[in-house]
Amino acid sequence: MRTLGSLPIAGCSDGEIRRLAQQHGLALRADELRTIADTLGRDPTVVEAHAFDAQWSEHCSYKSSRHHLKKLPTTGESVIIGPGEDSGVVALGEHNGERYGIVVAHESHNHPSQVVPFEGAATGIGGIVRDVLCMGAEIIAVADPLRFGRIDDTGSHQRYVAQSAVDGISAYGNAIGVPNIAGDLYFDERFDDNCLVNVVSLGLVKEPEIIHSHAPHDAAGWSIVLVGKATDPSGFGGASFSSVTLDAADEAANKGAVQVPDPFLKNVIIRASYRVFAYLRERGCTVGFKDLGAGGIMGCSAEICSAGGFGADIDLDRVNVAIPGLRPEVIAVGETQERLIWVLPPGVVDDVLRIYNDEFTLPLIAHNARAVVIGTVTEAKRYVLHHGGERVMDVDIDFLTGSIRDELPFVHKASTVTESGAQALGERAGDLMNVFVDVLSHRDVCSREPLYQRYDSVVRGRTVMPRSQGVAGVLAPIDDSVLAVALAVAGNPRYGKIDAHHAARHAVSFACAQVVAAGAAPVGLTDCLNFGNPRNTDHYSEFVAAVEGLAHAAHGLHLPFVSGNVSLYNESSSGTAVPASAIVSCIGTMRNVEGVITPGLKRAGSELFRIGTGGSHVGGTVVADLFGIDAALAPIDEGRERNDNAFLLAAIDRGLVRAARALGDGGLLAALAQMAFASPHFPNVGAVVTLASPVALFNEYGGYLVETDDARRLRDLAAEFEAGITSVGRTTPSPTIVLADGTEASLDHLYRSWRAPLVEVYG
Amino acid sequence: MNARVAVLVFPGTNSEDETLRLLRAFDLDADLVHWSRAHTLPAYGAYVLPGGFAYEDRIRAGAIAAHDPMMDHVIAGARSGKLVLGICNGAQIVLEAGLVPGTGAERTPTAAFTKNAPIPKFICKHVYVKLAIAPDRCAITAALPEGALIPAWAAHGEGRLAATDEHLDEIARGGHMAFVYAHEDGSTAPSATPNGSALGCAALTNIEGNVLAIMPHVERDAWNFNHPDRRAGTAMLAPSGGSLLFKSFAQAVRRL
Repeated sequence: MRTLGSLPIAGCSDGEIRRLAQQHGLALRADELRTIADTLGRDPTVVEAHAFDAQWSEHCSYKSSRHHLKKLPTTGESVIIGPGEDSGVVALGEHNGERYGIVVAHESHNHPSQVVPFEGAATGIGGIVRDVLCMGAEIIAVADPLRFGRIDDTGSHQRYVAQSAVDGISAYGNAIGVPNIAGDLYFDERFDDNCLVNVVSLGLVKEPEIIHSHAPHDAAGWSIVLVGKATDPSGFGGASFSSVTLDAADEAANKGAVQVPDPFLKNVIIRASYRVFAYLRERGCTVGFKDLGAGGIMGCSAEICSAGGFGADIDLDRVNVAIPGLRPEVIAVGETQERLIWVLPPGVVDDVLRIYNDEFTLPLIAHNARAVVIGTVTEAKRYVLHHGGERVMDVDIDFLTGSIRDELPFVHKASTVTESGAQALGERAGDLMNVFVDVLSHRDVCSREPLYQRYDSVVRGRTVMPRSQGVAGVLAPIDDSVLAVALAVAGNPRYGKIDAHHAARHAVSFACAQVVAAGAAPVGLTDCLNFGNPRNTDHYSEFVAAVEGLAHAAHGLHLPFVSGNVSLYNESSSGTAVPASAIVSCIGTMRNVEGVITPGLKRAGSELFRIGTGGSHVGGTVVADLFGIDAALAPIDEGRERNDNAFLLAAIDRGLVRAARALGDGGLLAALAQMAFASPHFPNVGAVVTLASPVALFNEYGGYLVETDDARRLRDLAAEFEAGITSVGRTTPSPTIVLADGTEASLDHLYRSWRAPLVEVYG
Repeated sequence: MNARVAVLVFPGTNSEDETLRLLRAFDLDADLVHWSRAHTLPAYGAYVLPGGFAYEDRIRAGAIAAHDPMMDHVIAGARSGKLVLGICNGAQIVLEAGLVPGTGAERTPTAAFTKNAPIPKFICKHVYVKLAIAPDRCAITAALPEGALIPAWAAHGEGRLAATDEHLDEIARGGHMAFVYAHEDGSTAPSATPNGSALGCAALTNIEGNVLAIMPHVERDAWNFNHPDRRAGTAMLAPSGGSLLFKSFAQAVRRL
């Protein structure tokens, strides 16, 4: 064991240890370093210190979140794989006697996107698709929930972030050829210093062909194969970087912690990996495959081996590097992008190397990119690294990867606001048509087309409903099969600022509703919890309240969480945290794609109904923002929502629904306008609205607006389900929307108000 | 026996699977051929270059890929009368190789598909293209009706045809402009063109009519479930309008 370059922990005071940690760029606390030294029975080497720094960071260890996440339901009929591996898997259905699963992963890339937005957001896409790929799946979609700061000042960093992050997502996703089919976008000043770039990805896999993120049971002595980009110094300290608050003074170090994307190389690695999947199926081999994310080679190899009950012995000198002379800790934990690790039995190693290196010519695609054997799975549960002929790390692998836990204080507190806001809205709203136009041009409602038209939403030729047509994205992912999958995201920061618990419940509800409106049955959820510093009791309490909200909603809707991610420390050095942001995605499945419902109004002379009432609250709504109304979020009844969802799916199944849209930002009128804009006959199908109450027209919580040409049967079915439906008006052959007070606006005028605001930002 | 069709995969290609699938749907004997297998190309009678970002679109989309050894076989094949269909990035490569409009020297293009205008960024948008030549002017379009209107997805950052006035004139007079952008009703106002392309051009053919380079992805509006305005009563898994160009291509392959 090399003793030179150890960190002298023994005999040092806490202050001395903190200085030592700082000197080495470690985020580990003094007590954690002491625990490490005590358990090892010696001072840790520099490599070991950096390995624990990454592995014990919040990002990798979930040390202050894991015990709360246990409250989330994670099982159910549709679950093939729940949380715990790189991605979850839900059942899609059977085609030609084979069971198919949808792989789903959801992560954040917030800190990197704030510092270097193009690269940060691009590597967000790059990382999430690896999580899906390593399950043995074909990558079929990505989605991007985005939260940016104020963009009005054209010279501001936050506007640059908002533009450049989108450019990065576009550049990466388009180049690897994965359609971007869903997402959402909000702006708030509390994202000025911390944007949120969440990414979701879906994959398609036959159930028996799933590859797990652990070494198989008989893997002792098997090879550990690293594949991908040559390791370089980029992304060193990335895991710890995302587990501390951003400090402007550390700009240079922060930038160094961001990884460099290479979608061109990734495109080839993905295709080569598909070929390896086919080869391994032919050979009937069970193997392990895992994405390199936080903690680099060390994090990935330690986790894949320990999860299989093994240790690992790795020679860092065998790693393909971009430049000579890299320090062992940089090779071990640096987060160079576009890399994965295989655990392979001896008989197939040469062929797999040949596929990557010769058939797909990785070394010709990027400097020194390749697949290479770097070590061996060991029976002994040690994690051992060699470098320059010396052992530079030798620790108990379970101690390295095992769950550590931080018990942090939190309080349960109810939201202080209790007013419904209905009265204030009645007093301040005035002319409804003016409010309608202001709602349509509000930054959280206006057209997202200038943004999403930068994304390829139709590559791979399987898109049924891209964002230009619907709210949820829909794909028919299997050749010659009518099975379809839908994906939608939600998480409203205007709600999060008022009440973290109810905001989380509304996020689950709205993500599901969007999927249901497309005609799909929700089967699984993912979450990414974006919050402030957990050592700030207020912020940590919001996190805990949100997790409890997610759990409550998922139980009430009978849905499991199958994958998720936690992103804490989303606050600036000044202590401003992002609004409580539990961002949720919902995966829905459709037995027959013929049943897909698009939101565009289909014909004049149909009747319009609202499903659900939305109640009397307006807190957190777009109109509350416009009129400065402080009010509470609406209470939410998941049992009733589940019933409404079942009713709508039954109505769709019986052919009673021509068009549908879940009610979200801006409420009923905003939904109606967007259904008119999405009409294949735009602007020639308008509407007359008979509902007059401002609360009913602008509240946002739950429910749907549907177009039907058989009102009688829809009412009968609603009675059967005991679902509440309300007549809203009807569609007309004139290019206008007429409100109950007789005021009228042309669809063309409304469209221009809605379409314009983001054009100057995104072109 | 019908000629076999090679779907070329360059490093960075991303639309090979859906292209292959649609070719096979028309009973063509088609294979993917990756760059490391360039030497197998002479055995094929027709070449399809699918979309993507070959060689990362370095310098200009298609510029590097036009010099890939695979293109030696494609250029030789085009000269000997084999069919060549380039879609999106494939169209850019075909153009950079000088195969269309084919009025200059090999690998010395007289026109380029370059940065979109006025917004010089990637755009993904549903469009229609209209056949602007006599169908039999190009072997690949020969089975289409006169003035055929075909739905497709534009999905590119560099799709604007640019050339000198002299070369644009040559393209127009020589009947090279195979498709122009159009509205759904078939009208061809500039507002139908998503990328500022000169002459509203969406596709070019060569003098001999055996090479077609088309920017929008017809293969992404190949099945009714892909088509935005799905009319009630159409089977979702049945072919939609975009497949017509592939159907015509398949007939041309059978005539070889």
